[in-house]
Amino acid sequence: MLEELKNVKMPEGLNPEVLAHLMQPQNYGKLEDANGIGVALDEKTNEYVIFYLKLDSDKIEDIKFATNGCQDTVVIGSMFSDMIKGEKLLFAQKAIEKIIEKLGRLSAQQEVCAAIVFASYNAALQNFENIQNGADEELHMVKMKESCEVEEKKEDE
Amino acid sequence: MNKLFQTKHHLWLELVFASFAIKDEAIKSRLYDFSQINFRHMKWIANETLLKGKDYNYDRDMMLYKQESVFTILQNLQNRFQDAMQSYGDDTLAGRMRTDDEYLLTYIEELLEDKSNDAPITAFNMERKYKNKNLAQEQIDALTLFLFEESYKEYELILIYAYMQARTDNLMQYNVFQDLIDESHFHLKSFGNMMAELGILALPRELHERTYMIDDLEKFIKDGIAEEEAAKEMCKELSSAIKDEELSKFFDFINYQESYHIALMEKLL
Repeated sequence: MLEELKNVKMPEGLNPEVLAHLMQPQNYGKLEDANGIGVALDEKTNEYVIFYLKLDSDKIEDIKFATNGCQDTVVIGSMFSDMIKGEKLLFAQKAIEKIIEKLGRLSAQQEVCAAIVFASYNAALQNFENIQNGADEELHMVKMKESCEVEEKKEDE
Repeated sequence: MNKLFQTKHHLWLELVFASFAIKDEAIKSRLYDFSQINFRHMKWIANETLLKGKDYNYDRDMMLYKQESVFTILQNLQNRFQDAMQSYGDDTLAGRMRTDDEYLLTYIEELLEDKSNDAPITAFNMERKYKNKNLAQEQIDALTLFLFEESYKEYELILIYAYMQARTDNLMQYNVFQDLIDESHFHLKSFGNMMAELGILALPRELHERTYMIDDLEKFIKDGIAEEEAAKEMCKELSSAIKDEELSKFFDFINYQESYHIALMEKLL
């Protein structure tokens, strides 16, 4: 938790950590010297998440992300990037489960938000790998199978 | 020119959010007026940049400092504007910006001379209490999420429409974009002031170029209409969930405004 939040009394509901990420998302923006860039796109809603990674071998030296998506996507991206910055790639894979635990029970729509964040991160890793293998790829893009729109309809049914 | 554009983008935001954070209605209103003047400076810089065959972007490198008093906000504004004015150059637009901003600095100096203008700032205290209303926790949570979602959306729309307005030669499109920009300014102002009241005032996140460099206007408008529909739905849900007459009326009012946005956007198709 951020230092400034330690003495903040929060009622139940939105927890102070989530509120802090809402007020000031961590690692948000572009990374000029990234060596892995991934985009996950929801073609139905045109919502995207872009991840920038600066990897040194298997260590995440720096990380940034951006999105035009909803606040759930921002909070998950902010928490996830904060958790894995400076860590090894293996830790990052385990962090995905930890984030889900932190967030508690997710709605179907929030699960789609989490999926687009992690898909974008994985696309950035793929871009890094492709470049290492000699590919000339500016960024790696994946298109999402599930959409927020579809999930919302499923919930209504 | 891009650097100057980015500087003005920062100054516009500094002023808008200073006006949200300060409770004194007279100071709030004056700072908001100056923020609108600075938004027009941004627009004019954008137009001149494009006329010169150059380009600009919405990259940002700023934080919203959680100031604790009116005077620290005003002193911060004073420093920002004094620094920025060094980079204005000497053309006609620079002359206009300089005289506008010098007038703002005079106003700020006058405010700082009178200690009765100082007061604590509660816009960042995260207490999440809305005036003297007795709202249930779920209602406060719903309101919080709505305000974060929609304040970002309004900021995003202002910038996207301004970006497209600067690039169209079609008068009808130009006018529709202007109406939509004006409407979004009003919504951002309404939501920003509510966020400050709740103690959760925060700067909307930066726009990535993928968000505002639009290749397909028709798709963008259709997606935008779907988003307006979703915003209408959120307003309706919030209006019925919050058992408070004043707030319910406000969200109904916003809901009806969103309906007309859809009509305006349909003109663009």
